[in-house]
Amino acid sequence: MGLLDLFKGKYVDPTYPGVHAGGNVVTTTLDSVIKWGRRSSIWPMPFGTACCAIEFMALSASHYDIARFGAEVLRFSPRQADLMFVAGTIPDKLGPVLKTIYDQMPEPKWVISMGVCASSGGFYRSYHVMQGIDEIIPVDVYVPGCPPSPEGLLAAIMKIQDRIKNGEQAKEPQGAHRVGAPGDGAIDRRARRQFWAQDDAEQKRAGKPPRGVLQLRVLPNDTDEQHG
Amino acid sequence: MASATALAPPEVLAKPAARVLSETLGDRVLSVSDFRGDLAITVTRGAWVEAARLLKDHRELDFKLFLDLCAVDYLDKPGYPERYEVVLHVYSVSTKHHVRLKTQLPEADAKLPTLIGVYRGANWFEREAWDLYGIVFDGHPNLSRLLTHDDFVGHPMRKDYPTAKRHVLKVPKEFLLTVPENSEHVLINLGPSHPAMHGTFRAQVLLDGETITEAEAEIGYMHRNFEKMAEERTYWQIIPYTDRLNYCSSFMNGHGWALAVEKLLGVPAPPRAEAIRVILSEFSRIMDHIVAVSTNVVDLGAITPFFVMFRAREVIYELLEACCGARLTVSYVRIGGLAQDVPDDFEARCRKAIESVKDVWKQGHELLTRNAIFQNRFRDVGVMPKDEALDWGWVGPCLRGSGVDYDIRKDQPYSGYEQYDFDVPIATTGDCFDRYLVRMEEILQSLRIIEQALARLPKGPVITDDRKVALPPKSEVYSNIESLMNHFKLVYDGILPPPGEVYGYTEGANGELGFYVVSDGGKHPWRLKVRPPCYNIYQAYPHMIKGGLIADAVAIIGGLNVVAGELDR
Repeated sequence: MGLLDLFKGKYVDPTYPGVHAGGNVVTTTLDSVIKWGRRSSIWPMPFGTACCAIEFMALSASHYDIARFGAEVLRFSPRQADLMFVAGTIPDKLGPVLKTIYDQMPEPKWVISMGVCASSGGFYRSYHVMQGIDEIIPVDVYVPGCPPSPEGLLAAIMKIQDRIKNGEQAKEPQGAHRVGAPGDGAIDRRARRQFWAQDDAEQKRAGKPPRGVLQLRVLPNDTDEQHG
Repeated sequence: MASATALAPPEVLAKPAARVLSETLGDRVLSVSDFRGDLAITVTRGAWVEAARLLKDHRELDFKLFLDLCAVDYLDKPGYPERYEVVLHVYSVSTKHHVRLKTQLPEADAKLPTLIGVYRGANWFEREAWDLYGIVFDGHPNLSRLLTHDDFVGHPMRKDYPTAKRHVLKVPKEFLLTVPENSEHVLINLGPSHPAMHGTFRAQVLLDGETITEAEAEIGYMHRNFEKMAEERTYWQIIPYTDRLNYCSSFMNGHGWALAVEKLLGVPAPPRAEAIRVILSEFSRIMDHIVAVSTNVVDLGAITPFFVMFRAREVIYELLEACCGARLTVSYVRIGGLAQDVPDDFEARCRKAIESVKDVWKQGHELLTRNAIFQNRFRDVGVMPKDEALDWGWVGPCLRGSGVDYDIRKDQPYSGYEQYDFDVPIATTGDCFDRYLVRMEEILQSLRIIEQALARLPKGPVITDDRKVALPPKSEVYSNIESLMNHFKLVYDGILPPPGEVYGYTEGANGELGFYVVSDGGKHPWRLKVRPPCYNIYQAYPHMIKGGLIADAVAIIGGLNVVAGELDR
């Protein structure tokens, strides 16, 4: 669908404000036209680090062909891109690099966190891996999978298109409170068990039940008054 | 002769390396052992450099190929008087022998003279051992953080360091090099986010015009602590982690890991499993070479081969997906075999994939090999001479590109490679074009192996019936008590290998992928060291690009096929 067709009213998207089906004149807002243009010509910047980058290559190659979604112009310079694919694990050493590159992208910008490593650290709960990129940058769409299938990525691109259409954009790093976490106690299973044992002992000394144990409410005896 | 060496059986002492070292060093050789065919020699700290030099330069031994150097932490381990141990693995291409050289270091004084004077490739390995274990190598030119970042506190691989204790990096290291005063040289950063750097590693170059006068490399941007995590996982839980080492050909890593553990256990996989492993490994090698070749030329501006050649990868993905349900990170091998048998239409799918590979190979070959631009960019660029390649510890297609005839599938056959008829391509010059040619030829040779393996694919089970290693079939678990108990024990305790240490090695797509496993008899490995092929290869990269043009630096890096997941682990 070309822009001219839109104005001719030939293929009219009735969701646009002021569009009259079949009419020769379309009244719309500049904002809507800009959003329509933006979502149909996304320029992604692949920040590929690990295995997910290989699956991203499969997405951009001929079989899955992201050109169908207008997102085939891969830009390796963040200054020319409006969508960042963070594909792969981000270790702590790479964190400042990712942040710099995100900051270099011009507004408006969107971020897809591809795969569980980028979303939450994945199964790398370890001393050098960031537990989700949303510790330092805002994320718009999280794609699960290790690595996600290309179909999942296509769905993510469509979600981004929806967000562009609705004028939504993540502004704050959702996990900023987690920077540097988990510490030695939170994830290290031995340390965690020790912590729990200590806590249980303290609770017991205070005459309370252990934390995290559900206190079951004992229902009063329903006697024959209601049923009988 | 020392009493400890006298304890070793005479046939072990008769092995050339053990004999020469005991004769020359006398009682400075503390012990000699042989476990599962791996010869290990322990020497005193004072004899460390001398022993390494002897191994390398002695005419009879000729251990020229540097493989691996790592540290092990035996904190509070009974039977180990000293806390640390430093382990060196070297290989002799002429005599086809591996040897392991060890020395013990006390906790209070963990110092060792550097081996850089003997093996150039030891440089980064010693930095890594300092970074992760805090072992000081006297005389090392640049003992600084390599895998972890500069704000990191402590040495994370030590047993008393909590697995998940993180340190936030505030300001990354901006300069690896300094611009000389009063010069007009320009400093350029390649990576860690750079289109030519496939994955995340970094090189910084100092330019005089377009000529590189100085170069330095940094890694660790993909250091996700595989080795530390492995110390808390059971042997089969490690399989998914190995898939993510060299993710371009993930099946081969699992294959290598399974073989290493099978060597430790002494339990072989059944013939059908081995044949299927060979077939899928060779397909993985093809996939890896396709990525290496096609993305290399993308960096030079030719994007068509990428679109053409990736079609075959898609067909192989479908084959893998039919076998195990995953496209890329397959986790299909198990210790002692495979997760399940292949689908009924396996052979038809393989034939389809073979046809597809042949088709794209031909197209890629026509697009590239005689292309004048391609030849101008690749010929005589990034030349690596034979001796230097061995000294750096190069392996795989890159080493064969430099003219060394070393392919583990031929020299130390595993998984039944000795049954198949195939050739190992060897080039002469060692430039980018040679590495390209070796990869293209290896694709064809892999197809030959696959066709032979398909033709004689044996029938039978795909996993060993040793109930201490493999789970019994579900039907038996539900019908008899013994299987139920085996199932319970295996799930609960995991695989319990005998105490000992082995070095398992396979020919990965990039070369020798080694797993050095130290077992204390428990359900987790005490220490697991991956010997990644790219590590040595990328280490030589800054030295290769010095004196060349900046555009050549880009042409070289793609041909080396450095994979970040394997590089930094």
